[in-house]
Amino acid sequence: MNTPSIAIVGSGPSGCYAAQALRKHWPDAQIVLIDRLPVPYGLVRYGVAPDHQGTKAVSRQFERLFEREGVRFLGNLEIGRELTLDELRAAFDIVLLATGLDGDRALDIPGERLPQVYGSGRLTRLVNEHPDEAGFSPRFGERCVIVGNGNVAIDILRLLLKPLDHYQGSDLADDLHRDLLSPPPREIHIVGRSPAAAAKFDTVMLRELAKLPGVAFRIEDLPADGQGDAKLDALRALAEVAPAAAERRVTFRFGWQPQAILGSIRVEAIRFTASQDEGALLLDADSVVSAIGFAERPGALPAREQLAGPRADLERGLLDAGLFCAGWFRRGPRGTIPENRNDARLVAEAIIASVEGGQIACGKPGLAALPDELLAGRVDYAGWQRIDATEQANAAPGRVRRKIRDRARMLAVAHAHPHGE
Amino acid sequence: MKLVVLFGTETGNAELVAEDIVDAVRAETEASAHDMADFDIAGLTPDALYLIVCSTYGDGELPNSAQPFANALREQRPDLSGVRFAVFGLGDSFYATYNQGSRLLAELLGELGARQVGEHGLHDASSGELPGDVALAWAKSILSQL
Repeated sequence: MNTPSIAIVGSGPSGCYAAQALRKHWPDAQIVLIDRLPVPYGLVRYGVAPDHQGTKAVSRQFERLFEREGVRFLGNLEIGRELTLDELRAAFDIVLLATGLDGDRALDIPGERLPQVYGSGRLTRLVNEHPDEAGFSPRFGERCVIVGNGNVAIDILRLLLKPLDHYQGSDLADDLHRDLLSPPPREIHIVGRSPAAAAKFDTVMLRELAKLPGVAFRIEDLPADGQGDAKLDALRALAEVAPAAAERRVTFRFGWQPQAILGSIRVEAIRFTASQDEGALLLDADSVVSAIGFAERPGALPAREQLAGPRADLERGLLDAGLFCAGWFRRGPRGTIPENRNDARLVAEAIIASVEGGQIACGKPGLAALPDELLAGRVDYAGWQRIDATEQANAAPGRVRRKIRDRARMLAVAHAHPHGE
Repeated sequence: MKLVVLFGTETGNAELVAEDIVDAVRAETEASAHDMADFDIAGLTPDALYLIVCSTYGDGELPNSAQPFANALREQRPDLSGVRFAVFGLGDSFYATYNQGSRLLAELLGELGARQVGEHGLHDASSGELPGDVALAWAKSILSQL
């Protein structure tokens, strides 16, 4: 039987789901999940909000890959920097790129480079204690405008509004929250380009906002009709939350396209025009958060277009002979974790078909073909388990984990030998 | 008696739970796991016990893979008298719609004459417990009551 050696670059949900599907088909294949960080799970760890532990719990499913199904973790290895993609392809029969898209999509308007304009992806990584954002310290001021109407925009809104004592059971870092939000902004606008009924956020995300204390919500630009539409009803229900002492005000606006951020050395205001007519909207602001989606950002790996060979078939995730892509790196920044599960399974099927169909000759040795000095200092699954155990043991009261933020400390913990070893 | 585990899933958690149950009981009982999306409702018969393992998605909706199954039941309204089933739901108590998906399916099967046996099992994603562990304890208690 033809059994390939498989390297998956990126250990986020798409990479893990692909590994599941490939393991199901090839119980004995060497499958290695590679991550540039010393820790696995990508977006689950660094993109899902700290207070959405139920969503993060999908990682319990991925643990089984390593604990029961013989998939290897190879962390702290950046493909394109410490090992070229060509070298990786020379060692493995199949290379699957599942590195996601973590750049914030630009607003492409004047004033975007003012210092108080922040990308939602960066902010999300910051509150999740991503090592790359250690030097990032945003200041929101009194008035913040969030541009965007997706679930990430709502995550940011909730972050700005939710007091520390409502984070029971999360893995939020309290000191980080205090630094970020002392004091929290008192006046927040959240502005989307589409009409309210077409806003991308999920209704359940709106319902969650209704639980926040001391916030008065105002919803503008709602259509007169649309009774019975779950999303519009949830928005109207938010407006009815009328706390006795509202310390903070949130206004939802719909149908406005950003035109310019105003200010000479700092953000002073943001100007919108109506998507439908000639109307204009000017909002005073001390900070602007852009939450309009994600894009490729220059990294160690070449851009996807440069990797596509003459027989590339992106619909099936095929880039070149033995080289595939899955998840956001394949399909663009669309879809939730479950949608990317389907995506990863589809690409896994394409990989299986190309091996079973004889298009790919198998026999490359995989890990054994990589030089020992390259593998020294990497983090295996046992190393991650030491980091995981340390983080859980360090959890503050009411928190489930305190992440290690510093990369060097992660490595020190991963490589510490437990007693008796 | 044969055990048929039917799962409805979005993230794959319910599928793993279904497989865990089948692995754990296979030595004693004939058992198999099927995605509800691939299961023909004409196959619901009195000679098996159906374990329904189902998550909840979005604003209290059924997960994608359970929807064709539920739609077929609603449209064809088969007479399910004599059919027995037990239900294990996966949900997240963080949301008000906690476990609504599995309750929807239990109600639907009940309306059509099938009989629910044993307690309605639940896993809470916010609890920190492994879904497979909770589901196995539940499956054992269901089987011991038969």
